[in-house]
Amino acid sequence: MEMPNAATAKSKTMHSSWAMIFSPLSAQAWLFIALLLLVIITPVVAASYGAADLPMSQVLRILLVPIVGQDSAVYLTTYSFMTPFDSTHNSNIAERIVFELRLPRILLAFIAGAGLAISGSVLQTVTRNPLADPFLFGISSGASLGAVIAMSALSVLGLELSGIGGWLSVPIGAFIGASAASLMVLGMAGTNVNSQTERMLLSGVAITFMFGAMTSLILYFSSPQATASVLFWSMGSFAKASWSSLWMPAIVVVSGIGVIMAMKRQILAMLAGDETAHTLGIPVARVRLAMLLLCSLITAIIVAHCGGIGFVGLMIPHIVRLLFPGRYPIMITAIAGGLFMIWVDVFARSLMDNQELPVGIITSVIGSLFFLIVLRRRRR
Amino acid sequence: MIVNAIDVVGLSWQLERQSILSNISFSLPKGQMLGVIGANGAGKSSLLRCLYRYIEPTSGSISVLGQDIHGYSSRAFARDVAVVLQETPAHFEMTTSQLVAMGLTPHKSWFEFTNQDDKQHIQRALQQVGLEHKANQDYDKLSGGEKQRALIARAIVQRPSVLILDEPTNHLDVRYQIQILELVRSLGISVICSIHDLNLAAATCDNLLLLHQGHCVAYGSPQEVLTQTQIASAFGVSCEVQPHRQTGKPAIQYFYGYQPSSATIKNVPTPKSAAIAAGQRRSHGDA
Repeated sequence: MEMPNAATAKSKTMHSSWAMIFSPLSAQAWLFIALLLLVIITPVVAASYGAADLPMSQVLRILLVPIVGQDSAVYLTTYSFMTPFDSTHNSNIAERIVFELRLPRILLAFIAGAGLAISGSVLQTVTRNPLADPFLFGISSGASLGAVIAMSALSVLGLELSGIGGWLSVPIGAFIGASAASLMVLGMAGTNVNSQTERMLLSGVAITFMFGAMTSLILYFSSPQATASVLFWSMGSFAKASWSSLWMPAIVVVSGIGVIMAMKRQILAMLAGDETAHTLGIPVARVRLAMLLLCSLITAIIVAHCGGIGFVGLMIPHIVRLLFPGRYPIMITAIAGGLFMIWVDVFARSLMDNQELPVGIITSVIGSLFFLIVLRRRRR
Repeated sequence: MIVNAIDVVGLSWQLERQSILSNISFSLPKGQMLGVIGANGAGKSSLLRCLYRYIEPTSGSISVLGQDIHGYSSRAFARDVAVVLQETPAHFEMTTSQLVAMGLTPHKSWFEFTNQDDKQHIQRALQQVGLEHKANQDYDKLSGGEKQRALIARAIVQRPSVLILDEPTNHLDVRYQIQILELVRSLGISVICSIHDLNLAAATCDNLLLLHQGHCVAYGSPQEVLTQTQIASAFGVSCEVQPHRQTGKPAIQYFYGYQPSSATIKNVPTPKSAAIAAGQRRSHGDA
């Protein structure tokens, strides 16, 4: 099944038979509108799920108050098509749940998903490897090792994780680990274009095992309490999201996306091959190194805050490429990654009663199946 | 003083103590087309790679438009010199017009988007190579000749003074071979181009550079370069060279069944005897 073909074929048939209904918008325009609607609906729906179930109309009202004011928010939500406002919940508590717990969590999930999706997309472009992903390249495990080293160093020194040393040293440790992993993958890739994809993946696997073993070793010698908390963190979770810890991933991911958008032309030219990119005036080795380090930074910050969340960087760029063939939309990739992550988090919160599943487990289950499908398609 | 498009003096390149190119010198006057010919492994691609700075020669100097190529920044160099290569990597999911738009890369800095002028430029380039109807098709789905023309359109968008092409006629039908080279000629810029087909090279190039094992064995007009003895020594074939009926440039007829012995030219059969042998074979084929 050649998906780009199917996509173009579908848009063609749509043109002929559905033209009356869908004109004058193209299939891509409809996709875009659907994405926009999802962006609007997702926070409201996502904020109503959790340990305390809040009706969506109430969440909508709480979210609308700061935007349109108290009176209009009440008017809009009371006379909406949704269930009428349920007054059994204390609205003050509900407000605090939404603003202090759920909204930062939703934002963190969005930022993490966007950052991972963009990292995957850029890695796939600059290494011309459709299976590139921060997780598969060992960047996440490098970040994990760096973060765990930083965490245990802090506990040995008797410093608080939440203190000034904590919020800086863990991300820095994660970045050093992530950079080491990505440089090793790049170093192992070799110059033979035909074997680069395989070599990068295999060295990523080896690096993941190596760094994973070192992480396990550190955990083995830590206290059981520390081990349990690190283990839960490493499986990925947005449970610890708060407004005070949100700004660092937000700044890194947003500015990272800014740099990538600024250099979009240079990054895309590398798709045409190193030699062609060179003839277009691009310092190929330097741009590739810079992009690997940028992706390492984004991944490291996300790992330091949310733990290991795999395969988002593989799945989202692939799906976006299928839906928007030949466009390389950076913003859409970021938004799609963010939305996907929010929904995975909703799923993780609501799958079992009174218990949260780590999001990393869910993305890995979906992602590894996706990986196998992509691999199968590539073999043809 | 007239500045040449390219000046190469004493160019040599060694790879792991093996000499790939030795002491090559030539000039490409502005607006002319220079063909680089030679057998497989003679060093054609290596020579071109030195010219577009992909490999660093061991010694010698290369100037483009009178300026040493080391004096250029990457982007400035790409604004003056465009290159059309053979390979495109797999999984190259782009439309034709997106590929052509890549030619804008050296003209755009960070955050500079494609404006209306650029779009017109891309449109004109596509028209020039006759691909305007394929603008929104996948580049991967174009035929070999169309791909090559799309790459030339990308080079046109790059607005270079010098165009370097590495075997642009490879794997193409005869019709496209002629079409591509005539298209390149019609651009009116300085062109250096490696070509396998000697008849094509003779008909389309102003000057030829014949490489043999990394040495320049002949350099000059097609008449000077494409002689029977020089073709025999560089390619190990026997042939007869006559003026082309239409262009007056050398036209080469090869003889078949010739066994070259250790690259010396003593054993070349006389054209007459070979022609007789060839004629006999041809009549067999016809029967």
